[in-house]
Amino acid sequence: MFQNYISVALRNLIKHKLYSAINIVGLAVGLAACVLITLFVRDEMSFDTFWKDADKLYRMNTTFNVPGREPFVTVMAMGPAKGAIERYFAGEVEAVTRFNNEWPVIEYDNKVFSEEVYFTDPETVDMFSLDVVAGDIKQSLNDNSTLVVNESFAKKHFGDKDPIGEVMTLTYYATTRDYRIGAVYKDLPHNSVMDFRALIMIDEADFENFPWEYGHWFSVNNNIFFKLKDGVSIDALNARWKDFTDTMMDVRDQIEPGTNPSDFVTFSSQPLLDIQLYPAGDGEMKPTGDIKTVMIFSAIAGLILLIACINFMNLATAKSTQRAREVAIRKVMGARRGQLITQFLGESILLALIGLVLGIVLVEMALPVYSDFLGRELTFEYSDGTTLAILLGLIAFVGTLGGFYPAIALSGFQPSRVLKANKSAETSGSIMLRNALVVLQFTISIGLIVSTAVVYGQMVYGQNMDPGYQKDNMLVIRNVGRSGMLEQQEAFKQEVLRMQGVNNASLTSGRPADGNESNSSVEIPGNPEAGSILLGRQGVDHDFFETYQIPFVAGRAYDLSRGTDGTPSSEGAKEGEVLQGTVVVNERTIRRLGFGTPEEAIGKVVRMGVGDDVQADLSIIGVVPDINFQSLRQIIRPEMYVMSDSWKGNLTINFNGDAQALLSQVENVWKRMAPTVPFSYEYVDQALAEEFEAEQALATMLGGFSMLAIAVACLGLYGLASFTAERRTKEIGIRKVLGASVIDIVRLLIWQFSKPVLVANLIAWPLAVWGMMSWLETFPYRIDTWLLIPLCLFAGFIALMIAWGTVGGNAAKVARSNPIKALRYE
Amino acid sequence: MLKLHNLSKVYRTDEVETVALNSVNVEIASGEFVAIMGPSGCGKSTLLNIIGMLDSPSSGDYIFMEENVAGYNEAKLSNIRKQNIGFIFQSFNLIDELTVEENIELALLYHNIPASERRERVAHVMDKVGIAHRAKHMPSQLSGGQQQRVAVARAVVGDQAMILADEPTGNLDSAHGQEVMEMLQQLNEEGTTIVMVTHSPAHADYARRTINLFDGHVVTENLRAAE
Ligand SMILES: Nc1ncnc2c1ncn2[C@@H]1O[C@H](COP(=O)(O)OP(=O)(O)O)[C@@H](O)[C@H]1O
Ligand SMILES: [Mg+2]
Repeated sequence: MFQNYISVALRNLIKHKLYSAINIVGLAVGLAACVLITLFVRDEMSFDTFWKDADKLYRMNTTFNVPGREPFVTVMAMGPAKGAIERYFAGEVEAVTRFNNEWPVIEYDNKVFSEEVYFTDPETVDMFSLDVVAGDIKQSLNDNSTLVVNESFAKKHFGDKDPIGEVMTLTYYATTRDYRIGAVYKDLPHNSVMDFRALIMIDEADFENFPWEYGHWFSVNNNIFFKLKDGVSIDALNARWKDFTDTMMDVRDQIEPGTNPSDFVTFSSQPLLDIQLYPAGDGEMKPTGDIKTVMIFSAIAGLILLIACINFMNLATAKSTQRAREVAIRKVMGARRGQLITQFLGESILLALIGLVLGIVLVEMALPVYSDFLGRELTFEYSDGTTLAILLGLIAFVGTLGGFYPAIALSGFQPSRVLKANKSAETSGSIMLRNALVVLQFTISIGLIVSTAVVYGQMVYGQNMDPGYQKDNMLVIRNVGRSGMLEQQEAFKQEVLRMQGVNNASLTSGRPADGNESNSSVEIPGNPEAGSILLGRQGVDHDFFETYQIPFVAGRAYDLSRGTDGTPSSEGAKEGEVLQGTVVVNERTIRRLGFGTPEEAIGKVVRMGVGDDVQADLSIIGVVPDINFQSLRQIIRPEMYVMSDSWKGNLTINFNGDAQALLSQVENVWKRMAPTVPFSYEYVDQALAEEFEAEQALATMLGGFSMLAIAVACLGLYGLASFTAERRTKEIGIRKVLGASVIDIVRLLIWQFSKPVLVANLIAWPLAVWGMMSWLETFPYRIDTWLLIPLCLFAGFIALMIAWGTVGGNAAKVARSNPIKALRYE
Repeated sequence: MLKLHNLSKVYRTDEVETVALNSVNVEIASGEFVAIMGPSGCGKSTLLNIIGMLDSPSSGDYIFMEENVAGYNEAKLSNIRKQNIGFIFQSFNLIDELTVEENIELALLYHNIPASERRERVAHVMDKVGIAHRAKHMPSQLSGGQQQRVAVARAVVGDQAMILADEPTGNLDSAHGQEVMEMLQQLNEEGTTIVMVTHSPAHADYARRTINLFDGHVVTENLRAAE
């Protein structure tokens, strides 16, 4: 009995080659896409779960509430917060640690180089279960002249030598010290938000003169993690952050009387396990993922699988009508309904199983490329029981779904009717169901096309957005503010300016798209009600506007020949003194300050602190448009372009001609002037484009998976079209006898398949528009919403073309065949 | 009406060559009622298909209304066919998914006739063949005789000058068969040329002339004595 089923099943597979191939390939592609996405999703969900106390670890995030601006969130906090938590939350928190990265200059084995090193506290050892392979990490992190490194760091610098006991000389800030390698730990896996290759104990004494690193309450540089004591609820702790802020933040002398620290700063705790998927703000050790991406792709995986299942089901029901005769005969021979159902389910599951095997082959073939694209090594583990169970469960599910309807419908046929009438046993119900499923498939496909187009469009829009200044032919040399180059940066600039092809150059504190948050509060002299107003701040030199080709709405740029231009230095000023100076601002600033039109703003004065109890009255000499220097993903803030002797870390070069030639010239000069400082550069246009890298990746992935979804849907449509044509041969023959031309017939068949696609459009458009509009909301600068209309039309058109292409060939073949053949053997 | 001169049809499949018609000469005048008889496989349907322009001859001439259509392509034949020729088949060949009315209307669909006129003409022929009360029914709800009447209505709704019927009574019992024959006779009296293949000598008697085919040849042509 069973053997008979198997042999009938296999014979059926082979007999209906096209049907089997379409079904197996469609399912395999759908499963493969689903598995690939699931691998990515599972990897995203696995972040940091491997730490022993992962569920007790939290990070302290900081939100600055700046009046008149969006709150600014960073995942870092201030150096003094560690001690404050230890004292204030003594009953709740077991340990606190800080991570703060530096790029010290390292000397080892007569070589000089720079590596990223994290300064941290000894508690790290007790909080993060690092996998130590050599040395004593606890002792090492309790000693200010011991370096702890990971295996790849050790391998890179010490090769096969035993790293323990090797000595490197590190220079940072004012410190130069010999460090002994005290311990080596296994590289952190890729599925961690933590990313450090070397650790050094923070010795605050080394930073005495650089208090912003660990001493200031208004300077955030540290990722601060804390570990809850057993049995403590995080909610109880969270409820006390406000009181913590006002009790522990020792900043009374820095804020206006009558205000509280909690008016400006809000702390919050973020579980370590949430960091990867719930991005909170700037300052992560490495770029994180996003739960939205995970959800989008989970949904796509589900949808592709759904499309594949629908194919399976549709083709199975379509084909089943051709087997009415077999069923009838089996029934006449005494087969019970249950047996028939078993038979059809079995066949369906067998087909699904073959699809699974092929799908796994596809996954294995695609994995290297996929891993490469995602930048992480993903593997597909069959051996692990859950995966296997899930896959087999999936197959049973798909197989049952595909086999269920035909099994029930076919086994319910009346044999006498089928045998006597000898005609297609298709019921109008099954045709309707099939049409509904085709509509669903195309709704999904069209939705995916629209989404891909919108994401892609937003990416292109973002990358080509006019930031308000020149972005092409602009080279930024970084690190010019690091000791070794800092002292001679002006000389370096002059050397660069002498190079051929250099039009101009400017030293600035930040660089385009670095997202840097630097703010100063100002007052309006003679208008105390205005209070203190926080303005964004970019440190620039007098060549800034010329170099970046920023036009002026009113007034003028800084002029070196006027000795009074810029923000004066507090050096030599007496306490309480008010100095005089000038400043250039953007248009938003004058709106924020209520200074009227740009022309009216010229000559108006703002007062800004420039040192301990020394202030400067800056009169506005120029107003520039709202340029997007900070980040294209943020709303432009009111911003001052302050020229002063404050620290500057970047040199922007406006050049023409060969970039590569210029770059090597600049690098040569750099190597000569500051051999101990790493040479690092970027191009402005690339830096701006990189801001949309995540969208680029999203668009690529969406595009890829949409194509797969459509391919699977088309496979199904092709199969259906051939079944339909077969079913309608008689009808087509009659129509031809009655005078229908080939064109009439092709039109008839194509229209039949256009209807579901058109209906699908009507469903998909509003859904896609709604979804994409809420996605676009996250961008302050985004493509015009009206663009969604042509994009929808475009997607619908594409879907229709694809559908036509799929069924057209078949329709033409059918339409050309001689009608007498169809009518002859009835 | 039409004239076949030395007309032959050869079917070539992979190895076998079947001569279905061999130098057939037939002339059919306008308004005639012709029956074609002969044993199974002798080429009756082939002859009818060629007359109906559903198939093309391998050699010879086919003059239809003064026009030699032997070498015409499919589109041209289709055009002449839909203007002039109606078909009735042994197995009715109605479309299961369409109602009686829609099945009949189908014959006008490819003629560029406005919908209102189509409806009128469909109603008229339905009356004529006596199935108006079944207009909204599906073919599967009708008896064989009724289905064939729908097929007859469909064949004449376009005012075709000639009807080709391939064993129209083959699937019907004798009472229903006679009904259909009477209908054809009436159409013939109204001026329609009818060419019919049949196995039944009784039904062949309705025709004024019988062509006997054997193995692709015309053996005899009997003219029935005028009554
Ligand atoms: N499409 C075809 N291909 C090959 N042989 C055919 C085809 N149509 C008919 N024949 C052959 O031509 C001969 C005449 O067939 P047909 O005209 O259908 O006979 P009848 O209608 O008199 O029974 C038969 O031998 C038949 O097998
Ligand atoms: Mg025949």
